[in-house]
Amino acid sequence: MKSTQALAIVLLSLLLTWAGQVALGYFQVGKLEPVINEETNLREPPTPSGLAQTGARVFASEGCLECHSLSVRGPSGSPDLTRGWGERRSVSRDYLFREPALVGFSRIGPDLSNIGNRIKEPKDLMMHLYNPRNLKTTSTCPPHPWLFEMKLAGPKHESESLPIPRKDWKQVIPTYQAKALVAYLQSLNLNYSLPEAPLK
Amino acid sequence: MTFPLPSQSKASNAAVVMITSSAIWGLLAAGLQTLSTIQLLLPVLSYFAPIPVLDYGHLAPAVSFLLIYGWITSGLLGVLMILVPRFSGIPFRYGRLLTGGAILWQVGVLSGLTGILGEGGTGIPFLPFLRPVTCIFLVSFLVLGTGITRGLGGSWKSGPLLPRLYLLGALISFPLGLGTAELLLRGGTTPGAVQIIVQLVWASVLQHLWLSPLALVLLFQLIPAMTGRATSSLSLGVLAWITTLGLGGWLSNTLASEGPLPSWLQSAGVVATLLLFVAVLGNGILLQPLLEGKMEEIKRNVALRFMSVGAWSYLAAYGWLAFLALPGVRQTTVFTMTSNTTQTLLIFLFWGSVLSGSVYALLPVARNMGWPSHPALTWHFWFTTIGAGMMVSGYALAGIFQGLALNDPGVPMGTVASYLRPFLVVVLIGQIVWWVGQMAFSSLLFSSLLKLFPSTAPMAVFPSENPASTTR
Repeated sequence: MKSTQALAIVLLSLLLTWAGQVALGYFQVGKLEPVINEETNLREPPTPSGLAQTGARVFASEGCLECHSLSVRGPSGSPDLTRGWGERRSVSRDYLFREPALVGFSRIGPDLSNIGNRIKEPKDLMMHLYNPRNLKTTSTCPPHPWLFEMKLAGPKHESESLPIPRKDWKQVIPTYQAKALVAYLQSLNLNYSLPEAPLK
Repeated sequence: MTFPLPSQSKASNAAVVMITSSAIWGLLAAGLQTLSTIQLLLPVLSYFAPIPVLDYGHLAPAVSFLLIYGWITSGLLGVLMILVPRFSGIPFRYGRLLTGGAILWQVGVLSGLTGILGEGGTGIPFLPFLRPVTCIFLVSFLVLGTGITRGLGGSWKSGPLLPRLYLLGALISFPLGLGTAELLLRGGTTPGAVQIIVQLVWASVLQHLWLSPLALVLLFQLIPAMTGRATSSLSLGVLAWITTLGLGGWLSNTLASEGPLPSWLQSAGVVATLLLFVAVLGNGILLQPLLEGKMEEIKRNVALRFMSVGAWSYLAAYGWLAFLALPGVRQTTVFTMTSNTTQTLLIFLFWGSVLSGSVYALLPVARNMGWPSHPALTWHFWFTTIGAGMMVSGYALAGIFQGLALNDPGVPMGTVASYLRPFLVVVLIGQIVWWVGQMAFSSLLFSSLLKLFPSTAPMAVFPSENPASTTR
């Protein structure tokens, strides 16, 4: 085999690998648009806020994907819906506004595709981030206290402080990163119907 | 004992930078990996002293990055920089430039590591670092890859074809793949669902079109040179090469099940994985006769022993991937530790063993040196092989039990995690054993390079010594 023939085969294979998957994939799922909910007249999936988009990067940088996935399967062949991780399966359109779009490849912890619908109170999510065992004593999730700062309690209780009793007269206040992460987690919500994945 | 050509020393400085750095990164990665497994086993530890740098979410991507870009890629590029001028007969020029490229690669690894540990990863599989690190890697590869390609192009007709074919494929796949992934994933214009496809293509390209072909270059070049036998069928080898190139980029689609990835891509991934295993078996048919009846030589020559483990692990890794791709199995094992099994098989047993064998065979050629102690080489072999074997079996069992438990909605998540613990203990012991083996290797490497002890185990192989290896 001549070197030019070998080079042509290599380049052709790479072209087929990238074009065959990315270009064809783009024509199939890259041009998806949000759908309009006829009852609320809102776009679904909704565009996440800027804070939630920052939170997506905090989510990635804290390595949450090492234990959590972001893709609900089912209903056939997978118990994800029975486990209560979502009311429908995840589809391509759900990832329309995700930046970065992440799926995760591990489930040491539960899937988080619908966590915004499962834990609705931002304070509960904050409490989980600060110390997961505040909410569930057997949690294996590591704490993230560096996403919070300690401030000496003033005469007035700060509205953002977590309801954690401390002996040192300090309050636990979420940083911007914690707020962004919670905004992102709240934006992970599959509680809307799509033509290809209607709600149960 | 073989003495290097004078021109060879130019490349060997760069090669030594790559190989010694690779040994250090491997040692560091294994240490951090042990820490992360301890955290998985005893999550309560992270409550006593929560430190972001040592948090599992920072350690896990850092370990994966160090193993791939620090240990394996540095090491494989290093040994290729010794091998290519040997099999081409064309010495490298611009030695200082090459050394600069090698140092730049290590700067990239260090920057990536500090970024991941300090600021966190990007969450993108196999691309956990920021754009400046990608640029460093691409510039460094431009220098190193150009040097290697020059030797390859100038010697196309003068030696065995298969290593050259795999080298050509790998050298083109890596920069094109990394550049394309970087542009599409961080260019800001790719829609979310397409980003997931790009991530999976990049994962496939890195593993199956870059690192596996590099390891195959060394297997097909060094095993014939060490055993004095030539590969039996060039047509079968070329067919396996074309199949590897054509299908290798589709394999990671099996990591997704349902979700955002179009179903035809998932099916294509399954078909590609099963067909690629047939090609891998084809390569196995070529490699097996080279080692058949050579048990005495394998026992005596640690380099050959590592290469044989690498060859068998190549079959095992792709066989395991084919098993995981089977429809019923995939549904159960996706999102479980079976993917850690695949990674361990590929990184520690296939690429890692080939790397160790190649260093033992080639470094003496470049540096005019021997190894100080033969028993220590054997310890390195047994510790790393047994350690990696324990990791593979621990992860495999953990993954299978995890998959079965996850698929039973009656089993709570806390219980699923508790099922993993006994197997993670096996994994942890394996990681410690492997780390001890790597420590033995690093000590040998540095003491040999610094000539601290007299050489008692000279071992040097390079292809031009053996006419059989030049059969095409």
